[in-house]
Amino acid sequence: MATALGGFKAIAPVPSASDFVDIALSSTQRKLPTVIHKNFKISRIRNFYMRKVKYCANTIDERIGKILTEFPILENLHPFLMHFLNILYDKEHWKIALGQLNKARHLVDQVAKDYLRLLKFADSLYRAKQLKRAALGRMATILKGQKNALEFLEQVRQHLNRLPAIDPNTRTLIICGFPNVGKSSFMNKVTRADVETAPYPFTTKALHVGHTDYKYLRWQIIDTPGILDHDIKDMNVIEMQSITALAHLRAACMYFMDLSEQCGYTIEAQCKLFQSIQPLFRDKPVIVVFNKVDIARYSDLTDENKAFVDEILAQPGIQSVSSSTITEEGVMSVRDAACDALLAHRVEQKMRGSRIDAVANKLHVAVPKQRDTKDRPAFIPPKALEKKKYDKTDPERIRLERDDEVAMSGLGIFTQDMKKNYILDDEEWKYDVMPEFMDGKNVADFFSADIAEQLSKLEEEEERLDGEGFYESGDDEELNSEEEEIADAAAQIVRSKAILKQKSQAKHISRAIIPRKAKNVTLKQFTTGMREIGLDPKHLERRAAVLSEKEKAAYDAYVKRQEAKEAAEGKAPAADGDVEMQDAEGPSGSASRGVSARGPKTNRQFAGMATDAQATKAALLRKFAVREPNRMARASESDRHIPITRPKWMMSGKRKQGTNDRR
Amino acid sequence: MAVRAQFENSSDIGVFAKLTNSYCLTALASSSNFYSVFEAELQDVVPVIHTTIAGTRIVGRLTAGNRHGLLVPSTTTDQELQHLRNALPEEVAIRRIEERLSALGNVIACNDYVALVHPDIDRETEEIIADTLKVEVFRQTVASNVLVGSYCALSNQGGLVHPKTSRSEQDELSSLLQVPLVAGTVNRGSDVIGAGLVVNDWCAFTGIDTTATEISVIEATFKLQGQTQSAVINEMRDSLIDNYA
Repeated sequence: MATALGGFKAIAPVPSASDFVDIALSSTQRKLPTVIHKNFKISRIRNFYMRKVKYCANTIDERIGKILTEFPILENLHPFLMHFLNILYDKEHWKIALGQLNKARHLVDQVAKDYLRLLKFADSLYRAKQLKRAALGRMATILKGQKNALEFLEQVRQHLNRLPAIDPNTRTLIICGFPNVGKSSFMNKVTRADVETAPYPFTTKALHVGHTDYKYLRWQIIDTPGILDHDIKDMNVIEMQSITALAHLRAACMYFMDLSEQCGYTIEAQCKLFQSIQPLFRDKPVIVVFNKVDIARYSDLTDENKAFVDEILAQPGIQSVSSSTITEEGVMSVRDAACDALLAHRVEQKMRGSRIDAVANKLHVAVPKQRDTKDRPAFIPPKALEKKKYDKTDPERIRLERDDEVAMSGLGIFTQDMKKNYILDDEEWKYDVMPEFMDGKNVADFFSADIAEQLSKLEEEEERLDGEGFYESGDDEELNSEEEEIADAAAQIVRSKAILKQKSQAKHISRAIIPRKAKNVTLKQFTTGMREIGLDPKHLERRAAVLSEKEKAAYDAYVKRQEAKEAAEGKAPAADGDVEMQDAEGPSGSASRGVSARGPKTNRQFAGMATDAQATKAALLRKFAVREPNRMARASESDRHIPITRPKWMMSGKRKQGTNDRR
Repeated sequence: MAVRAQFENSSDIGVFAKLTNSYCLTALASSSNFYSVFEAELQDVVPVIHTTIAGTRIVGRLTAGNRHGLLVPSTTTDQELQHLRNALPEEVAIRRIEERLSALGNVIACNDYVALVHPDIDRETEEIIADTLKVEVFRQTVASNVLVGSYCALSNQGGLVHPKTSRSEQDELSSLLQVPLVAGTVNRGSDVIGAGLVVNDWCAFTGIDTTATEISVIEATFKLQGQTQSAVINEMRDSLIDNYA
């Protein structure tokens, strides 16, 4: 829960009762299936309607639950916020509204429960639907009963959103006093709150918040509406806001007084008010501000009035400051006095607390103990001290890279020039192009002028060390038999792994694979294979010989016939052995039955039918098979086209009678 | 005088910049805004250099240096080294260090006279630091953090250390460094001082989130506005108590 009033902004808008009903019902309609048929199984129909009732109840439950959690529980807030909200919205009213909503939520749940029980016994679509209607109707009625509560909560929400963000725990100064003594004018001088000021009482009707900076800290200043000097029971909401702020915020109080009496209240009255609200100032720094000193000062007062004022000032811990918001005399000193008093007060309190120990190290400056006589001065180049402070508005300011970039903005061509400020012996070298590699060597490796010299020196040293046996590491370099064995085994493993890998890769071929049965296998291959696995293929060979004999005989007969035919027609056989298609009959071709040479030789509808009875039955079956596709206007079995079932021209638009809304 | 800055919406500017008394390194960014913040304060006083280190933009964390020298990690490319050599004044020495802890900015915190280093740094590196930067080197921790460069910011005039550094530890470090030390925060309560603040003897740059109170502590600590460190315990004491406690 946010502590600032501004934190309440998270509350979502509260719908009115009729909106609430619409939301619940239309979401039930939109989010659930809407098509049901009376011929469906009854359990399906029941489930369909039970789901609707359940869903609607859940929606309402959730929405109300959200409202209930979003509105803060007043007792859990900071006392100031609690009393402040109590004054503005009345705690009882607030609680009752939320309580009623909570009750409505339970009622809706109860209705849903009852009707779900009844729906279990629904025996037709019609009854189930009526039960659903009744359930939803009762829920809607319950919601409509919450009209006032919902309206109140929405108003509160809107008002809460506009409240100033008062943080009850931060450094706060409160401005209070009679109406028209110049509280809001002062506020406008020290902050940027821009509070409305006018020369009539109760211009300020609510608390206003502004902020100011002083001593590296941020201070919250609260401008309160004016208070009149009467009993607390008679105070109205506007005055009570001031009283709440004074009573519950740990802040410095600035009591504004108008010594010129231009506000319409005598000095005596102003002093009386101070006395009567003094209990609220207990344990707080109080500053009495004599405002409007451009008209009347303390020294201008009559003795009688002075006595009243002195009586206040005589009390311990009360200081007075003079100011004028018109001439701005003393305005800042009032603020400073108040801030200082509050800061001193807060620090004194914090010093008594336990947290101070945790931060003690941050309030400590470790000063070095001299450990030697060495002087370690700061190094500040004189140029740095001479340098003029950069000022964005100065027309003669130095030109920065950013200015260059802005000048070229939009062109997309600006790149930082990294070589611009190179410090080189010759200015012209700045943009020289350097090769990174030359003759296969990294140029950067040769950056030193005497690189060759250094290298030869290193090599010399290396040779010397080598000669001295610095690098020899003894005979542990030689492998013993055990290690040799291991190395051998490792080599074998590597080799066998490579072979396995090759084999596995050979399995993955990318060309098309001919199935085993479709492969052309010669008789010899087949029989050899059989012999290899120990089977006797003799009978196969015999059978194959018989078959081939037969084929050969048939072919010879065919060839002979052909030759005879050709001889009869006086045609020589084609030189290449090709035969012409139209004459082809094949060795076992049947005799021609057709009338024309191009017409079908046989009726294929009856091909393979032994008897007439079979043929008739086949015709009948064929007829049945095409019936359904024909009825659906299908081109064939594979036609999956779905025609428009509900043509828009038939289903939408205005009707002569009634509407087309069938929700 | 302390200036607030941000690098491409990050307030950890110490990651992307390195400031010493004789040069300033900044990371290459998509716009010149960050570079120009430094340029406005330092132009014509010390060179402000755009650079990458090992192709990255975290130049502040990868390098360590002071007025006398600059240390870069072994990952720095030859071209970057060449660029730095061309852009830096002659009297600033550059060394590329072969060191396992390659984020040198995190493991070394130094001013022109003394350096605090990570306790696990190599012996050779320690010697190179002493020779190149002309400093006394101490293996230390700050508030029991080994990354001394991340958790403190030093100049020749003062130092800001991790907010949880105890009084006795502050006194000890201060005696080693021979500068006054203050414990504090940057960037609205961040304890990684090195990442949020870059400072030299006459100016400081802090992350954009740094509060007015933090800025005032920084200015007093590094003597930037004519104040001295005693301001922290005198004029600013009440504000600090109210702010922290």
